[in-house]
Amino acid sequence: MEPDDADLLSAHAAGDPHAFARLYDRYDRACFRYVRRLLGAAHADAAEDLHQETWIAVARNAAGFDPAKASFAAWLFTVARHKTFDHFRRQKVAVLTGTQDDAAMMVSDPGQTPLEQVQSRELAENIVAAVEALPLEQRGAFVMFVEGGLSLEEIAEATGVAVETAKSRLRYACAKLRTVLAGERSAHV
Amino acid sequence: MSDRNLASDPIDKAYAEAEAVLGDEAARAARRARILGAVASEAPAPLPRPIRRSPSFGRGGWLVAASVAGVGLLLSLQLGQEFKVRPEARPGKSAPPAARPSAMPSTPQVTTAPPPAAVAPARPAPPTRPAAAQAPGKPADVAPPAPPPVVASAPRSDAGDAPFVEGVIAAPPARARESAAPAIVQRRVVPEASAGRDEKTTRASLPDPAARLRQAAAAGRLAEMTALLSSGAPVDGADDEGETALMKTVQANHPAAAALLRRHGASLDRENRAGRSARDMASSVGDADLNRALGLAPGS
Repeated sequence: MEPDDADLLSAHAAGDPHAFARLYDRYDRACFRYVRRLLGAAHADAAEDLHQETWIAVARNAAGFDPAKASFAAWLFTVARHKTFDHFRRQKVAVLTGTQDDAAMMVSDPGQTPLEQVQSRELAENIVAAVEALPLEQRGAFVMFVEGGLSLEEIAEATGVAVETAKSRLRYACAKLRTVLAGERSAHV
Repeated sequence: MSDRNLASDPIDKAYAEAEAVLGDEAARAARRARILGAVASEAPAPLPRPIRRSPSFGRGGWLVAASVAGVGLLLSLQLGQEFKVRPEARPGKSAPPAARPSAMPSTPQVTTAPPPAAVAPARPAPPTRPAAAQAPGKPADVAPPAPPPVVASAPRSDAGDAPFVEGVIAAPPARARESAAPAIVQRRVVPEASAGRDEKTTRASLPDPAARLRQAAAAGRLAEMTALLSSGAPVDGADDEGETALMKTVQANHPAAAALLRRHGASLDRENRAGRSARDMASSVGDADLNRALGLAPGS
């Protein structure tokens, strides 16, 4: 039986040299993509450093992790989010996080787009670009949900908002992306 | 919108597939090596058991050693004081105890300790007392006193009048007593029940940290490497073939271990007996992650 995240983190804190690698392998893609998408194209160069800072912070504070308070994934994304926002602050990047920003992204739902798969690199790039074009918090919620597998409650906890707010951000993000991807699909058909 | 509704949204799948298409596995592997290496060098890993300090050498061990030394010294002095009585029982010796202190010139307790009679009750009464006292009519040299059984295991000094030391400590001859005392104390530090185990541990851990580092490097055991390096193992210690830990880890293609060694200053250019360096070996391996970990590739 595979040990859960908290077990691996405890094992790492106790000195198990392999536990952290296993934990890292579970989440490195999700964490990196989360950081990378939050940064967007303009700050893509910082993704490697911030991702590394995130994991080192996790390793250093492993002993302080309390699985009763949050899942490891939620904690990891919280750390990654703080690292990214710290970067924005250092770079004096204005972060738009207001509800107006969320509301502005509200679009009509065109219905489920039958995207079965991404057929070309160009389309993939456009999809990722569409994600990066989302408002920051929507983007973060979306990547946490898709890549990290976090629940709405965990996203809310990681971002410090109510569950309903997290849910709205996710809804807006999906709606916007469906619109964009519907156009992409038309262009590729 | 529930979690289930969100999860079934095809946009999720499209995005995940897009990320997979754009994913750079080589960059990911390099990132992994770098981060795990960094974590390994910082992780609060406890020292592996084999190199754990022996009680004989740890701080606590010295405290125990000092305590044992003190108790041993006190015991030996007390027994020495008792021994001071014994010459009285020697046949043909009639000198009073007061005439004997010269036998133990370096033990001030000889003159300040309570008289031998105060020590004697703690042990079985000697079978003989001074011959003159017990059998005044019998010549002392005809009936020599039997040696006291409680000190039978202790070697008797050649000098004859050197003090006995009772117990586990084997007393050397009187002339060697002072210099031999520390060695006795060290042997006594380790409890007998665990002495064998600790000796095995010591044999396994102390002889050559550099060899253990090379072994750990070849196997990519980061925590052990970190512990060894932290405890002062020479990072560039070479074996008989002139190969260092970095060479071992390069040959085994462990990027994280290589990164760890490099951060501790391992040389890329030191050559083995065949004239090959870790840099040469990395070139032969030709692994991008390894090269990045060694700082031999752009972006590393």
